Amino acid sequence: MKFRDLAYETSSALLANRARSLLTILGIVIGIASVIAMTALIDGVKAQLVGQLGLNMSRTVSITCWPPGNQPLDQGDIEEMGQALAGDYEFVTGYTYAGGPASSSTAEVEYLNITACEPAYFQGMGLAATQGRLFTEEEEEDGAMVVVLGGSSVQNLFGSPDADCVGKTVRIGSSQYTVVGAIKTDTPYQSDIAYMPASTAVTRLIGQGGYSSWQILGFAREGSDMYAVAANTESYLYQRYDIPYPEEGQTSFSSDEGYVYVQTAQALIDQLDATTATFRMLALAVASISLLVGGIGIMNMMLTNVTERIREIGLRKALGARRGDITGQFLLESVTICIVGGVIGVGVGYGGAWLLASVAGSALSSMMGGSGELVPVISPATVVVATVICVGIGVVFGWYPARRGARMDPVEALRYQ
Amino acid sequence: MSAVIDVRGLWRIYETAAGHTTALRGVSLQVARGEFLAIMGPSGSGKSTLMNTLGCLDRPTAGSYRLEGVEVSELSEDDLAHVRSSRLGFVFQSFNLLPRATVLRNVMLPLVYSDRPVRDRELAAWRALRSVGLPEEHYLHRSNELSGGQMQRVAIARALVNDPAIILADEPTGNLDTATGEMVMRTFQRMQRRGKTIILITHDPEVAAWADRTVHIRDGRLFSDEEERAYLAGLARVEEGAAAGPSPTSSAAQKNRSRLLGVPCL
Repeated sequence: MKFRDLAYETSSALLANRARSLLTILGIVIGIASVIAMTALIDGVKAQLVGQLGLNMSRTVSITCWPPGNQPLDQGDIEEMGQALAGDYEFVTGYTYAGGPASSSTAEVEYLNITACEPAYFQGMGLAATQGRLFTEEEEEDGAMVVVLGGSSVQNLFGSPDADCVGKTVRIGSSQYTVVGAIKTDTPYQSDIAYMPASTAVTRLIGQGGYSSWQILGFAREGSDMYAVAANTESYLYQRYDIPYPEEGQTSFSSDEGYVYVQTAQALIDQLDATTATFRMLALAVASISLLVGGIGIMNMMLTNVTERIREIGLRKALGARRGDITGQFLLESVTICIVGGVIGVGVGYGGAWLLASVAGSALSSMMGGSGELVPVISPATVVVATVICVGIGVVFGWYPARRGARMDPVEALRYQ
Repeated sequence: MSAVIDVRGLWRIYETAAGHTTALRGVSLQVARGEFLAIMGPSGSGKSTLMNTLGCLDRPTAGSYRLEGVEVSELSEDDLAHVRSSRLGFVFQSFNLLPRATVLRNVMLPLVYSDRPVRDRELAAWRALRSVGLPEEHYLHRSNELSGGQMQRVAIARALVNDPAIILADEPTGNLDTATGEMVMRTFQRMQRRGKTIILITHDPEVAAWADRTVHIRDGRLFSDEEERAYLAGLARVEEGAAAGPSPTSSAAQKNRSRLLGVPCL
C-alpha cells in the first residue's frame, strides 16, 4: 500500500465523520494548547529575568581581584592578564567608577554615576548607542572631553528620555564635556549614569579623589565553556598575585590575604533554569493531564471507527490487504488527528499565552521574581517537542484500535452485521 | 486441462465454546482451468467454509489445497493476503462496495493492495468496468447511487481488475430479481469465455444450471451431481414409504431414513 493510498483513505475516513473527527481534534487542541501556553509563559518569565539581570550577555565575565596588601590592580596588570589568558578571552578591559554633581544649561543632577571605560566595554556589555554614537578608541587614548549618557540622565539633564542631547555640553565637577551619544535601556530602576573614556576620567575625576580600583570585564571567545574560562581566570589570578585559595565555605576575606571573584552569567542562568524548571514541571504536569484526556478521546474514536468498519476491514482483507495495511490505515488516522490538533493547538496555545500574560502576567512573573510586562516566548524546541508528542500520542493511543482491526479474522469480519 | 484447484482430504474443525464443530469432512475437489463450477448446498452444509478455504480466507485443519500448483494451506497470513490479491477475485451476495466511494474507486480498491504501478490503475479499472458492460456515465457515481444489478456488476469488475485466475462468487444473485440475476450470470459466462475459472456458490438450481458442472455439499461432504440425484431419489422413496406408513421390517429403509434425518429441505 502506497502512502498516497493511505493518505486518501485517511482523509476520506476523517471527512466522513466530520463531527466526530472535529471533537477528537478539539481534545488534542486543548491538550497541546495548554502545554504550549504554559511553556510559553514560563519561558517568557525566564527571558524577562534574563533581560533584567543583564544575563543575555552569556560570554561576559565579570572579574574582581584584590591582591594582598590593598594594592589594587592597575591597567598594566589588566593588559598582562589579557595576554596571559588570550586563549580564553577575545579581550579583557578594565573599567572603574567615578562621579559627581552634573549640570546642563537647563538642569542639574545631584550625582552622576560615571563608568570610566574603554570602547571595548560597550561591546562586552552589549551596549549600543540609541542616539549619536559611542566614543572611539582615539578619543579614549587622547583623553577627549566627551561623555555618553545613559539611564535616566538624559531625562534629568535634558527634560525627556528622548531629548536630543548630542553635541550639547554637560558640566561634571569643574570641567565641560561634550555629549556624543546616549544609550537608552528598558531596565525598570534607572539611575543617572554616564560613560566616559577611562583616560579622561583618570586625569579629570579620579585624580580628584574618585575610586581607583579597577574592575575587569572579560569577553570570552565564542563557544567557550564558561565554567572553564572562569576556572582558568581564577587560578591565573590566585597564582599571579600569590593569593591563597579560599577554603571550602569561606565567605569573609581579609584584604591582607587578597581576594578573587570571578562571575559569569552562566552560573546565574543555570540557577534561573533550576528555578523555572520547578514551575515548568508543575505546569507541564497539569497540562499533560489534558493531553492524556485528549489521547483517550482518540482511542475511543478509533475503537468506534474500527467497530463501524469491521465489514470494510473484512472486504479489504479479502481483496488482499495485509495486516500491516490495515494497521497503517487506522494508525495514520489517529496520527493525522493528533498532528492537525497539534498545529491548531500550538496556535491556540500561543494566543492563550498572550491572553494569560495580559490578564495575570505581572502576578505570575512577580511570583518568580521578575517584574514588568510579560512577553510569552515560543522556542523552536517547544514546537518540535509538541510535534513529537502529537505523533507519539497518535501512535500510542491509535495502536490498540488499529491492531484490533488488523487482527480481525476476515471470514468473521465479512459476516459481521 | 490442468487442475487450477486441487483439494484433497480437506477437514475444517472449529473450536467453539460448546466444543468442536466439523464443517468439512475430508473434501476432495479438482477444478480445471477455465471451468465454471457451481457448488450447491443448504445452509449449514459447509459450503461457506469450503468457499472461504478456496478463497484463502480460512485455513483448513487438515488436508491439502494446491492453488495453481502452490500448496496454500500452510501459508502465513500475509502470504495468503498476497495470494488473494494476485490470484483470486471475490463476488459477494451483498456486493460489499464502499458506499461513499465512486464506482471507479471501488474497482481500483484491490489494486491499492497489489504491486501494480499507480498510473495503470485507472486504465485497469476502466477495462474491468467495460468488460462487465456497465455504461461509462456511472463510473464517477457513488456506488450507493446504483441499482442492485449495477452494483453487482461493479463488484464483478472489482473481482476482475487484478486479472485473477479464479473468481469466487458467493450467492451473487441472492439479492437480485430474476431478470437482473440472469444478466449477472451472463456476465459470469462472458468471463468464463475469456478464460477465467469461476466457482459459484448457490442454492438455486436455475443459477447452478449456468455452470459446466455442479457439485453438492451436505454435512461437510461433497457429492457429484449423479450421487446427489441418486440420493434425492432415495429420499423420495423414503418419504413415499413414510406416507404409506412405516414398514417395521424394512431395516434398509429405516437405516436410509435415519441417515437422512435432520437434513434440511432442499
